[in-house]
Amino acid sequence: MRYALSDISLIRRILRSRWFPWSLTAITLLFFVLVVWAGFFGTRVGSRNFGIVLVWIVWWALLILLLIPLTGRLWCAMCPIPALGEWWQRRALVRPRPGAKLYTWGRKWPRRLRNIWPQNIGFLLMALFSVVILTEPRATAAALTGLVIIALGVSLIFERRIFCRYLCPVGGFIGLYSQVAPIEIRVRDRVVCAGHLEKTCYTGSNAGYGCPWLLFPGGLQANAFCGMCTECLKTCPKDNLGLFLRPPGTDLLRTRRRGLDEAYKGCIMLASAFAYSAVLIGPWEELKGAAREVGSVAWLIYALAFLTLNLLIVPGLFWISVRLGQGSRPGSMHTLFTDYAVVLVPLGLAAWMAFSLSFVSANLSYIWTVLSDPFGWGWNILGTAQRDWTPYFSGWIPYLQVLLLLGGLAAAIALALHTTHRHGRSPHAAVPVAVFCTVATLALMALYLA
Amino acid sequence: MKQEFFALSIVLTILIFPVALLGYQMWRSRAPGTQVVDLVAHLPEEGGFTPDRLRLVVGRPTRLRVTSSDVVHGLTIPGLGIDVETIEPGKVKEIDFTPTLPGRYAFACTRWCGADHWRMRGVIEVVIPGEGRGEFVQPTVEPPLYQQLGIDLDAVRREARVIPQARPSALRGATLGVTLPSYLSDPYTRRALVPAEAYVQLRAQPTMIGLNDDDIWNLVAWGWLREVKPEALSRAERLYARDCAACHGPEGRGDGPMGRALPGLKKMDPAMPAGPADFTDAARMLSASDAVLHGKILRGGMGTGMPEFGSLYTDEELWALVAYVRGFLFGR
Repeated sequence: MRYALSDISLIRRILRSRWFPWSLTAITLLFFVLVVWAGFFGTRVGSRNFGIVLVWIVWWALLILLLIPLTGRLWCAMCPIPALGEWWQRRALVRPRPGAKLYTWGRKWPRRLRNIWPQNIGFLLMALFSVVILTEPRATAAALTGLVIIALGVSLIFERRIFCRYLCPVGGFIGLYSQVAPIEIRVRDRVVCAGHLEKTCYTGSNAGYGCPWLLFPGGLQANAFCGMCTECLKTCPKDNLGLFLRPPGTDLLRTRRRGLDEAYKGCIMLASAFAYSAVLIGPWEELKGAAREVGSVAWLIYALAFLTLNLLIVPGLFWISVRLGQGSRPGSMHTLFTDYAVVLVPLGLAAWMAFSLSFVSANLSYIWTVLSDPFGWGWNILGTAQRDWTPYFSGWIPYLQVLLLLGGLAAAIALALHTTHRHGRSPHAAVPVAVFCTVATLALMALYLA
Repeated sequence: MKQEFFALSIVLTILIFPVALLGYQMWRSRAPGTQVVDLVAHLPEEGGFTPDRLRLVVGRPTRLRVTSSDVVHGLTIPGLGIDVETIEPGKVKEIDFTPTLPGRYAFACTRWCGADHWRMRGVIEVVIPGEGRGEFVQPTVEPPLYQQLGIDLDAVRREARVIPQARPSALRGATLGVTLPSYLSDPYTRRALVPAEAYVQLRAQPTMIGLNDDDIWNLVAWGWLREVKPEALSRAERLYARDCAACHGPEGRGDGPMGRALPGLKKMDPAMPAGPADFTDAARMLSASDAVLHGKILRGGMGTGMPEFGSLYTDEELWALVAYVRGFLFGR
């Protein structure tokens, strides 16, 4: 059940225009440049620095609360980080070179790394330093600049958008949670694809580039790796690709081969939501201090505990719950583990949304001061530089958090039952996984509400 | 091709845009004929004031732009009449002034910002224009009283042999209607006198036979505080709250939170108490003359943790503070 949004003529014109998503990328690039400058040259006071407020409050809130749940990977289409590398690769900004030629060494990404393990590791590494990155403007600027340099370097060596597909630490979880979104880019009719020998959606043409994400759109089953750049819509001569509206979470119901890397991503994101909540908005000053003092003994202990939670404890507990559900029946634990891991998608997304709500509510008012005085140099462009801090809708937040967490739990349990049914087992087999999800939800509620 | 050119101009504009912002900042900061100075306050452990040495020119209008990079700080430049009570993190305060006299002027943080707050100081040199390296002659200053009297500030003082049974009251002393002898009424001699000695001398006077010991102590208290003007006491009260209370405590009992780790006099003599001085301790306060107290505030305590305030306070403020701390024992 889906509706082709791209059949609406205005949307269709926008999607097929070469100025989409380039124009969005230009806007995000402008903000990105301001963020980096503010980070390096502006005040060190995070709440008065455009970089910190825009990235870790505004952008993060938009991403987690709106963009991912509603539009999937649309952010990836307009992300400025790979933009310079991609433009350099193409030697063009808007119009494609004849034959969609790319000017790069064009190495293929190593087969062993064609998964999201690099993204998992990248996310964990950044998370270890996140208390510093999220609060120190220079650290934010350095991190973002570092990502741009890496993306640029990768685009010179490897084909297409290897950085986005396999390396971006943010892209890993955007892809994971984009499966919840109610929109997708898919083919209309696979039979048409079968009869189209040139496969310009993958190889490119004078109309546009082949899928930068190294996907064959004809076989696309999930949003997880589609960056919504719409190159395929532009290059398909059969007009066989479209942007569709669909029921949320459709991807999670589809049978497809999922890897251990994706399953682990789900565990990592759930564990990290808990850890971030405890460190950044919890009452334990010692924990916050340990996370902040990078290089100290306390930090090393914190890092070890964080990695253990993410890589051993939560995956281990989830594995146990899957194993308990299997009982004495034969079957591949690997397959069961990766299949049941879909429950972690709505659970984890709800956790991150609940976490984000709390700090956005508390910190969003800083946007007024940084819009007027982005660098903390004493400007007052909009007359709002002296506006006092104030929380927004703070009284509503606990209720919204509970609703989100319960919604995520309900979806997770439904998916657990769906997976059990798909494996031909009785609903009782889903109980341990449901218990795992429930305990995780209760733990998060205790953290937010206690 | 036109589309590519248009897109490229947009990207280049975006990348160069921050340079325009810098230009705007330079234009905004400009003030023809004015010397613009940026002063950033950091936690003392992170460097304190940056820069901590400024050079200004006599007669040239100056704009001092002050901000903090971490916590709330304050700023005082007493010699230039500048007091900024609050420097909030990330916010810029601009102070316009014109230095009129050459000299060295100390500046300091006035908001307790950390354990090393008292180290957060700096110096402004105001020089005469066109004189090479900008040498100037410091005005001649009279040596402080303790030096004139040859007092060793660091000598271990014995506790007062006689102390009052009840807390003396300057107010009650004033109501006794007694004419004070010259060694109490003359400020110069009184400042060199130890209160316990003043009690002994008063007690020995035949005209004081009708007064009990408490009355004599009240006279001592009155003698010490009678000439202090209310406005001076008020100023001293503000200075005490700003600079002293954090270590010496709001009631002068030496129990301020920032003073707990200070060595105090124990560093010089293990038998002496640790931590900041307790101004309500009669045995110790009554054995110290005002000249000693004045010297301690002016010079600081060597190794005791007591900072110097001679570079920040005027002589009138120093004496007013001495009278104020006496008031913790003598009442006000």
